[in-house]
Amino acid sequence: MATPKVAPWPAIPILKPDEVYAGLSDQAKEYPLFLESITRQEKNFEKPEALSRLRVLDCTTRMMIGHWCSSMLSELGAEVIQVEPPGGDPLRQNTPFGRKEYMFQDKETGEEVGGQFLHEMRNKLSVTLNLETEEGREILKKLAVHSDVVIENGPPGQWDAWGIGYRQLREINPRLIYCWVGQRGQWGSLKDKPGRLDPVAQAACGFVHGTGDPKEFGGQPTRSALWVADHVGGTAAAMGILAAVVYRENVSGEGQFIEATAAEAIIRILDYSWGWYSMDGSIRPRYGNWDLAINIYAVNPCKDGYMMVGGGHDRLWYRIWRTVGDEQPAVEEDILGDPHLREVTERLAHDMQVKTYTMLGEWLKDNPRSEAERKLSKQQVASGGVLYVNEVAEYPHFKYRGHVAEYDSPHYGKILYGTTPFLQHKTPGRLKWLGRPTGYDNQDVYRRLLGFTRDDFTRLSETGVTHEEEEEEL
Amino acid sequence: MARETAAAKQTQSFDEYCRETFDFKKAFGKPEALKGYRVLSCTQYILGPSCASYLAELGAEVIKIEAPRRGEAMRHTTPFNEPFLYPLSRWVPERGTGLGFLGANPNEYFTSVDFHRKEGQDIVKKLAAKSDVFVENYRPGTFDRWGIGYRQLKEINPRLVYAWLGGFGGWGPGRVRASYDILGQSQGGNFGMTGKQEFLGGAPAKHTIWLADYWGGMMAAVQILAALYWRDKISGEGTFTEYSQVHGVTRQLEYALPLYGRHGITRERWGNWDTQLCVHGIIKCGKSSYPQSENPQEQEEGYILISAYDDKDFARLCQTVGDGNLAGKYAKQDIRIQAKSQMEIYPWLEKWAANKTKEEVAAILDKANIINQPVWNSKEVANNPHWLERGAVRWLDDPTYGDLLHQGPAYMMSETPPRLKWALKPVGADNEEILGKLAGLSAEDLRRLEEQECI
Amino acid sequence: MLLICSGCKTKNFLDPYPFWNFKGNTKCAGCGKIWRLETSNGVCVAGPEAADGKPDLLPGFAEKPDYSAISGPGLTRSAPRARPTSVCKPIPIEKNVRGKTVSGHPLKKEDLVGSRPRFIQEGM
Repeated sequence: MATPKVAPWPAIPILKPDEVYAGLSDQAKEYPLFLESITRQEKNFEKPEALSRLRVLDCTTRMMIGHWCSSMLSELGAEVIQVEPPGGDPLRQNTPFGRKEYMFQDKETGEEVGGQFLHEMRNKLSVTLNLETEEGREILKKLAVHSDVVIENGPPGQWDAWGIGYRQLREINPRLIYCWVGQRGQWGSLKDKPGRLDPVAQAACGFVHGTGDPKEFGGQPTRSALWVADHVGGTAAAMGILAAVVYRENVSGEGQFIEATAAEAIIRILDYSWGWYSMDGSIRPRYGNWDLAINIYAVNPCKDGYMMVGGGHDRLWYRIWRTVGDEQPAVEEDILGDPHLREVTERLAHDMQVKTYTMLGEWLKDNPRSEAERKLSKQQVASGGVLYVNEVAEYPHFKYRGHVAEYDSPHYGKILYGTTPFLQHKTPGRLKWLGRPTGYDNQDVYRRLLGFTRDDFTRLSETGVTHEEEEEEL
Repeated sequence: MARETAAAKQTQSFDEYCRETFDFKKAFGKPEALKGYRVLSCTQYILGPSCASYLAELGAEVIKIEAPRRGEAMRHTTPFNEPFLYPLSRWVPERGTGLGFLGANPNEYFTSVDFHRKEGQDIVKKLAAKSDVFVENYRPGTFDRWGIGYRQLKEINPRLVYAWLGGFGGWGPGRVRASYDILGQSQGGNFGMTGKQEFLGGAPAKHTIWLADYWGGMMAAVQILAALYWRDKISGEGTFTEYSQVHGVTRQLEYALPLYGRHGITRERWGNWDTQLCVHGIIKCGKSSYPQSENPQEQEEGYILISAYDDKDFARLCQTVGDGNLAGKYAKQDIRIQAKSQMEIYPWLEKWAANKTKEEVAAILDKANIINQPVWNSKEVANNPHWLERGAVRWLDDPTYGDLLHQGPAYMMSETPPRLKWALKPVGADNEEILGKLAGLSAEDLRRLEEQECI
Repeated sequence: MLLICSGCKTKNFLDPYPFWNFKGNTKCAGCGKIWRLETSNGVCVAGPEAADGKPDLLPGFAEKPDYSAISGPGLTRSAPRARPTSVCKPIPIEKNVRGKTVSGHPLKKEDLVGSRPRFIQEGM
């Protein structure tokens, strides 16, 4: 792979505390410094891990929801073993526009992995196991004896038919917490319609229909760039798993069966769509980057990109126009003089929003994002530019707090990544490693958990249970 | 479980077994995972409240504390200013709670306390002494100044898990910035990469839901559950957790940061197509599914997701659509996935779908066993038998407000299912019960404080 | 962009997204005059000048100098709507979409038992 000619990160040095709190009185900086003393990520490894007693088998493939879920647990300290088919989870092959040069290569083996899988393969071990074989399933049962959590995303009923479903594994390990994840569900009218990968869930739950510009603005239903339903669904699954752990430890001593879907996690958070429909038959329309329920609360174009300005309160409304009035007095005057904009609630009508944002646009066209923010913040108005990932990576506040960091992997070299948001006083989340070659931990895991001998390894490798079958020469 | 029942369960079909196991109508016959836990929710808007609500679904006793009489700001937020649930409170029955409040505070007990006053702060301290979790999303340092921050409450109750949620975090150069959900989306990075392609004249598009808020609340709830487990199982100690919603958004950018860090490339918008798989995108179907409807939302044409990115699935798609030319040209996925290939493939699919409804397209693709999902609007989702039988949306007999369609919990559990009890209550509805019982206020105290609008 | 018609003084609101980079005709919602203009990054770089022909894109909204509203088919672009009608004021709702009782209309103190509407408590 060619050496990339990219400036090292960070391009601009990270601020020091003295610079951040310069000019503040001791009293003013006391509280933020106290918070720093208990939550700075540099201190992570001095502190215990909340979930270090738990072992998780992440057997999901071809989908992000399970990997996201197990990341939540692995960042908080659980031992997560990713059980991959021989050759690895096919997600490893995903790379933008199929570009192999964007993949990350293991220094030892030359194995390539795409950035999406890499970013989510954090703190996890990798073993290979062919669950399509009888022997592979027997091995899984043995692993289940030693595990607290199993996560799988097989087609509905597949694992049950294979004899390794919840009904069977609970007999082997009554303490096991078994979680199925998927797009739409393992039961119900749609169960036989294959789903497999987000944005299936985004389209099925109403999210896509509601996102993007209205048709009247020339827009269409829009998916998230990200497999966002998988992220939310994976987080929901993690909530269920941890609730089950709490209950097991406190009360029952037993596990249970959990199901989490990407679509239903989004349905849970589609705020008022369901209640609204039931009350008066309303079907939630797309409203672009404006809001159906709050004005001013929108993103609009500005001189150098797109700008978010927010202020649903009356007080903030006037402060926003005061800021605008400094440069465009006629605009402020018009707004203040408009009887239809006097009441907070009347500003919500679409016509009023068109006027509001057109007038705001008269000011935004002359102001780049940083200027707009600087001026509005003087009036304590929440605002900020839409940032692209190169800007996110260099944003002073994010660098200072470590939202973005660089990990130097012994396998893959330096990797820029998004850190865990689980900041805590006593048991913070943390990154131990990012990325893991396929099957890297076969020797360790199968030996220490299942007592495999060298003969076992050889036999299982040759029969394609733990390694890819050799392709026959034609 | 009796031996016969266990045996019977083993022989049931898997589908039957799941239906019975996860039947949401049977939830109230099963125990609650967080029975006995108490949570104080001193929160407003969505980020903080939703976090506490996920614990309320699991059976924790969650006490919401709001400003007296009119409650918190989210109660005054409703789409198009039209639908409200009445009364807002027993003091202000002529006004209602806006639907922006729906979904963020189910199953909770509602009290009103003025935090700004010393007597209000004393009440909060009394409640915190008996609680397991304290959730707040006010500006950093506010509760510390009021004497009810982490430093003070942990002296009263060392087992307390104190969860602060907010936009930018409590420390660092941006700590003073107020934040809203779409600001979190904008600055965290998922906004700029979503939406129609730049070269097609598109612009960034916000996620329609208050994603950073509602999903941020889930992330913080994961942290809280882990902290409770650690406390009860291992340490006996409470802790302070901080969740910044903009940090959460940056965490979810998938390959964007590794790609930028290694190659200096900024991930761009790619509209309704996928940057890593083809065919895996959403196309327009030219015909409306309900052309006679009076509702403008139903008059629009339909859209559908088509997913056929393995070579053999793509071949079958070509066969179904009936075009041998593209089948040969784009047989291999590493050719298909390239930008210029996608620019030919998706318009070709839209041409085929131009005279069809999304249901017609779905039926053709189902028959050919090609993965697809029509883009459903909120009415279609609300009436879909799959979501209704699973309880993802369900008709709720709310004790205060009547018959409401409401979302169910985000996940299912067999032994201790999360459940929906009620949607919300008026401001201060449970003052007498909670403040009397837990904070030890006499009837005289309650009257006096109510008169002073301290509660 | 705010386009004040030099003819009738109507304020035509050319909303940000569709008009930020625009080249073509729009139509004054007050008097029907066609205006040709070009914007680039929100700034007007050519026109507005009087033109003939048809409008390419109508304003999002318009109002007279005295703030009275002008909107409607053929004048301004229609608003996205969730229902056939839209009033943007609190609407009283007694029966929901499946004909059952929901507490969607203003109440008085005498209608309540504690904090609950009496008619819900009594199961009407």
